[in-house]
Amino acid sequence: MAQIEVRNLSIEYRLPKGEGTFTAVDSVSLDIEAGEFVTIVGSSGCGKSTLLLAIAGLVPIADGTLTIDGDAVEGPGPNRSVVFQEASLLPWKTVLGNVRFGLEMRRWRQGDLSKRAMQYINLVGLGSFADYHPHQLSGGMRQRVNIARALAVDPAVLLMDEPFGALDAQTREVMGDELLRIWERDRKTALFVTHDIDEAIFLADKVVVMGRNPGHIKDVIKVDLPRPRRGEMLDSDAFAEYRRRLRAHLAADMATMHLVREAV
Amino acid sequence: MTRFLRSRQTLILGTLSMLGILAMWQLSVSLGLINPFFVSTPSLVAQEFWVQFQNGDTMRDVSATLYSFVLALGLATGVGIGLGVLAGWYRDVESALEPFIWFKYSAPTVAFYPLFIAWLGYGTPTIVAIAFLFALTPIYANTLAGIKNVDRDLVRAATSFGARPWDIFLRVALPGSVPIVVAGLQLGVGRALTGVVVAELFGGNAGLGYSINYYAQHLQTTKMMVSIVIIILLGVALTQALAFLESKTDAWRVTPKK
Amino acid sequence: MVAVAATAPQKRVPEPARLGAGARSSVIGFCSVAAFLILWQVAPEMGWVNGRFTSQPSEVARAAVEVFRTDNFLHHARISLTEFFLGFALALVVSVPLGVLLGNSRLARDIINPPLMALYIAPTLILLPIMTIWLGIGMASKVAVVFLGAIFPIIVNTMAGMREADAKLVRAAQSFGATRMDIFRHILLPGSLPSLLAGIRLAVGRAVLGVVVGELYVSQAGIGHQLVVYGSSMRVDRLLVYALVVSVFGYAMTTLVRVLEGRVRNWRPET
Repeated sequence: MAQIEVRNLSIEYRLPKGEGTFTAVDSVSLDIEAGEFVTIVGSSGCGKSTLLLAIAGLVPIADGTLTIDGDAVEGPGPNRSVVFQEASLLPWKTVLGNVRFGLEMRRWRQGDLSKRAMQYINLVGLGSFADYHPHQLSGGMRQRVNIARALAVDPAVLLMDEPFGALDAQTREVMGDELLRIWERDRKTALFVTHDIDEAIFLADKVVVMGRNPGHIKDVIKVDLPRPRRGEMLDSDAFAEYRRRLRAHLAADMATMHLVREAV
Repeated sequence: MTRFLRSRQTLILGTLSMLGILAMWQLSVSLGLINPFFVSTPSLVAQEFWVQFQNGDTMRDVSATLYSFVLALGLATGVGIGLGVLAGWYRDVESALEPFIWFKYSAPTVAFYPLFIAWLGYGTPTIVAIAFLFALTPIYANTLAGIKNVDRDLVRAATSFGARPWDIFLRVALPGSVPIVVAGLQLGVGRALTGVVVAELFGGNAGLGYSINYYAQHLQTTKMMVSIVIIILLGVALTQALAFLESKTDAWRVTPKK
Repeated sequence: MVAVAATAPQKRVPEPARLGAGARSSVIGFCSVAAFLILWQVAPEMGWVNGRFTSQPSEVARAAVEVFRTDNFLHHARISLTEFFLGFALALVVSVPLGVLLGNSRLARDIINPPLMALYIAPTLILLPIMTIWLGIGMASKVAVVFLGAIFPIIVNTMAGMREADAKLVRAAQSFGATRMDIFRHILLPGSLPSLLAGIRLAVGRAVLGVVVGELYVSQAGIGHQLVVYGSSMRVDRLLVYALVVSVFGYAMTTLVRVLEGRVRNWRPET
């Protein structure tokens, strides 16, 4: 049995005002094994973030089942934590305060919260910035804090919703390397949403390609590149082949594109 | 049906709450909990309103108040926007005006009220002067901010097409600051109304504020309540009108409203 | 491992100081005030205006000394200050919880909003005469007017602050299992502080106005009472001293709130 099992999952949003609903995710099935690093890639509006938020327990399910370690997901739980895109740090708390915040909300009881928070702040390389406020940090550093906050609560599954989406290309690569370095330590199950093809391949054991209207899974591609991954791999033939396959999928999606209300 | 009720919840509950207040007001007097001498009752106020409406008292008061209000707001708009544009465009003008504006910000204008009486006498000139000073600050401050914070990218773009400072002023700074100036006007309207009725409370020979004071001196609560209700309605109506004007200028916004 | 400290913290660097511009601006400001004072001093002496109506800076300065020494100034100041702080404290106690409630409950908002907005817009000072009938000509009616003037801006701004809570932060907190109470304490409350303080700043202005108007209307003591006394006896110099005292107080209070606002905004990126 896979750790995360998604069966015929559908998610709908009620449209503001007027009648009716918008189907963001339509009858999706997916298995994620323990310790696997899975990325979901797709163009905007394909429901990839919605699927992740549903697994996080932040979005209600319209139809189908969703289980983690055999238990149905009915809301946020201690076995998962989420790294959001941007600006999800409390601006009035310091780096330390923000990482502590996750532990406090989880009602963490073991040992000294600040000590544990510091340990993870050091892990993401921000040890000397613990007393800074978010607005004093660069975008990349803020995402490091987000990652530290998510890891500190010791989740079984780490969910990441386009965490590097707002960063520039160079910082993005650095952060990808960093994320893998941290992940290699204990290889928790990771689910990572992105619209960047290279990022999706570079990080993943398995890339899930989603298409839209309504959101569905087009393909699941296993990535057989050796770990630890290195920047040079981006130039390899194997990588180019994965890239080519993904681009073909997404290009097909673009061709059928018409105006769609972007689901948030 | 429930869906209909839900979507109209705001309207229905709002109306109910207004009716509830009126009912409580009426009942507390009818049941003898409060002496009507102090609060009157809605039914008495409604009757009195009708009487005053028919004998022309309402018209006389409202037109006197509106006359002062329009004069004061007109003056404040002219002077406020004029000075604001000057100060926004010429830094030196801003520096010269700044100490006085600071002072004006913190000084409650009414403190100088007796002085205005000494200079201008009782009646409309003093009322207009007070209301003018009430309304001036937000209009000036917003115009200044609007002209000063003109979008740099737009200025650069205009300059790259060979625009001269005068062109930039007329075609970029002035239109670009319309929304924020309108926001200043919105504040100015409320403050001008406050200024007029407060000044009328103290000295005047007509107007809603004057009537409130007159009836208060003669302990005629019902008549006083009529004027109070009219002022509240006037405030709501003027604010609605300005909100409408603001929505019309929204399209002007260079950057989307947050 | 990748060099981590490569990204230095983006401390907000103030715009390159244009030394000349700042100094020029203060010099011009100083000159314009000086010119105004000189004109004010000279005009009556040259017979351009009637000094009885305008007084002069030198006379005002002299009057200030007299007022602080012999005019029972502290007595009047204490009465006005009591009215101000009592009314303001009452307004705070009522308005903040009410604003919090309104910000968090649609039902409460739908019920209370229409009368609330009408009173927020209306000049509450028109209730002064009826307050005087209800509560007499003493301090109580002024406290009531201060209270009425201060309460609505604070309610409205607290409510707005609660409602403008960042949905992303709420969602992040929920993902860590935050309860409604946690979200209120850690996100809504600190998030609405700037808005609350902006409301308090507006309320300070209205409250100072309330004290002065209340005392001008009818009173037996207080700064406003002295304004009436010297206004009707045409002692323009003393009148101006009291008016200036009110200005300085209003300025000091507003500045105090602004300082607090600045502190709270410290953690905020300036957008």
